Amino acid sequence: MSITRRATLASAAFAAASAGLPNLGLAQARQVVVGTWGGDYGELLRQNIDVPLLAPQGIEVLQDIANADPRKTKMLAERTARRGTMDVSCLSDTDMNMMAQQNTLETLDNSKLSRWASVVPSLRKPYAVPHIYSALVLLYNPNKVTTPPTSFADMWDPKYRGRVGFSDILYSTNTFAAAMAGGGSFSDYAPSRAKLMELRSLDAKIYPSNEALATALKEEEVWMTPMWLARGYMWQKAGIPLRHVVPSEGVYAILFEASMTRNSRNKDAAYAYLDAMLRAEAQVAFADRMGYLPTVTDARLPPEIASRISLSEADQARLRSPDYDYLIRSHSEILDFWNRQFKG
Amino acid sequence: MAALVLPAGLLVALLLVAPMVLLFRISLNEYSPTEMMREATTAANYLRAVGDPYYRSILLTTLTVSMGSTLLTLGLGFPTAYWLARMESRWKSFATIVVMFPLLVGNVVRAAGWLALLGNGGAINSSLMGLGLIASPLPLIYNTGAVVLGIVAVVLPYMILTLSAVIESIPRQVEEAASNLGAPSWTVFRRVVLPLALPGVAAGSVLVFVLCMNTYASAVLLGGPRFKMMAPAIYDQFVRGNNWPFGAALAFILLTITLVLTILGSAALGRRYRRPKEELS
Repeated sequence: MSITRRATLASAAFAAASAGLPNLGLAQARQVVVGTWGGDYGELLRQNIDVPLLAPQGIEVLQDIANADPRKTKMLAERTARRGTMDVSCLSDTDMNMMAQQNTLETLDNSKLSRWASVVPSLRKPYAVPHIYSALVLLYNPNKVTTPPTSFADMWDPKYRGRVGFSDILYSTNTFAAAMAGGGSFSDYAPSRAKLMELRSLDAKIYPSNEALATALKEEEVWMTPMWLARGYMWQKAGIPLRHVVPSEGVYAILFEASMTRNSRNKDAAYAYLDAMLRAEAQVAFADRMGYLPTVTDARLPPEIASRISLSEADQARLRSPDYDYLIRSHSEILDFWNRQFKG
Repeated sequence: MAALVLPAGLLVALLLVAPMVLLFRISLNEYSPTEMMREATTAANYLRAVGDPYYRSILLTTLTVSMGSTLLTLGLGFPTAYWLARMESRWKSFATIVVMFPLLVGNVVRAAGWLALLGNGGAINSSLMGLGLIASPLPLIYNTGAVVLGIVAVVLPYMILTLSAVIESIPRQVEEAASNLGAPSWTVFRRVVLPLALPGVAAGSVLVFVLCMNTYASAVLLGGPRFKMMAPAIYDQFVRGNNWPFGAALAFILLTITLVLTILGSAALGRRYRRPKEELS
């Protein structure tokens, strides 16, 4: 068969036209819409789950990319709709709990998850699968902070006036750190108020995003910040002079979870996706690139990574999830205080 | 003829009026941390917004920044618009495109550009520190000045294009006649060009003021975490606080104030420019 110019043009036109048409029949049967962050997280999902694990099952994955807050708002806005636009939602444990309370999530049938038996028992929830986790630590610049800190309370040392930085979006955990330094607990953030105002008079800096904070740490504008151990690992890899210390006051766990929306239109594909997220090889990739720990017992990390992102056994034993009920009740108060008094 | 308005009218009703009615209904509900909101008919959200000094100060900042930016834009835009309107060279269309050029870049991208220029590690601070002129970075961002600069850069093209269209419609002969009769150029501008350009000043200022009142990206990115204007405060209530009823109430307060000020401003300028016309006739 000879290929003529006309045939080439015609097939190109056909290809172009059909590319623009949504494949409706296929879309209904084998598609899953995953609400996720963009950046590294979304990219790692694509590289380690969407392409190698879901595509062979004939499931096409579409990512609905946004930060957590707009996606939560979307889930709330759609919660009364019979058919939602999102099938799987990736959120932090605190956000996920809030979404579960608002009746947006399906209760999972664990028998449909072949990997369920491998999940670390303390991380299991009825409404979500755990994906990766890390802990809240205090990051510091070893060139500037020569006596390594041991606790959140060290941020109040007048030696570090103007050198403590916060990421604005982490207002809740920043408030937690202040509460613990002031003698509070996982269920009592009240002491944070006086401590935050004290830190304000010590010229603590606030940056609009984690990235802006990273730049300030890199330029040695600030020397200390409460942050996820995983992010500290990524920043160290990026050449920012940082060490971390697990604060003596308490170890706060950050757990990222995935769940299925109640009004998902592709429940079987969503189960397949959640199951794939629990595969050991997929979890190891997140540890390597982002420094988060696997939530399944059979994922083996290379020793040099494990040593940098894991907690000691003693710290692991102190690791606790936030008090979700307390946070739901106090969330708007915490945000209000942060915005109006601390930042205002 | 009325039928011609129907398609656009329906579109506006469907995409603008209906959501606004819904939003207004939400603003009368009660916030609940566990259920998101409870059905109610209460003015509490409005009373809280008006009674709270924190939100009053945000509103005041928004108004001051918007009015300041509008006046600055008018001051900067008028000479450029006049020059553009009276331009006769073949470069005129090129100059118009240059004026429009900033509109081709999104607000966020533009704000990122300002950050790269004005930030602590940005071009200006790095150069000054490299030359040894300053020891620590100058605080060029995260203040009101940076926000006004960012806003003016966004809205200036709207002002210039609106004004130059109106100035172009003013016959050059009226200026020449005034000059012939001995008016110095400042008098020509004050007594002839400005009164005749007032419809353009009104239209441009209203357009720019409304855009300023709704500033989001410039306020967040250039103002930093401590700087607050209404649009980011509304976003905060909806998205971070999950308090839709209060966010909706704030949105309606912003809408009402913008609308009232716009109407008052247009009416005041309208009276000014009707007068010279009557004198002419």
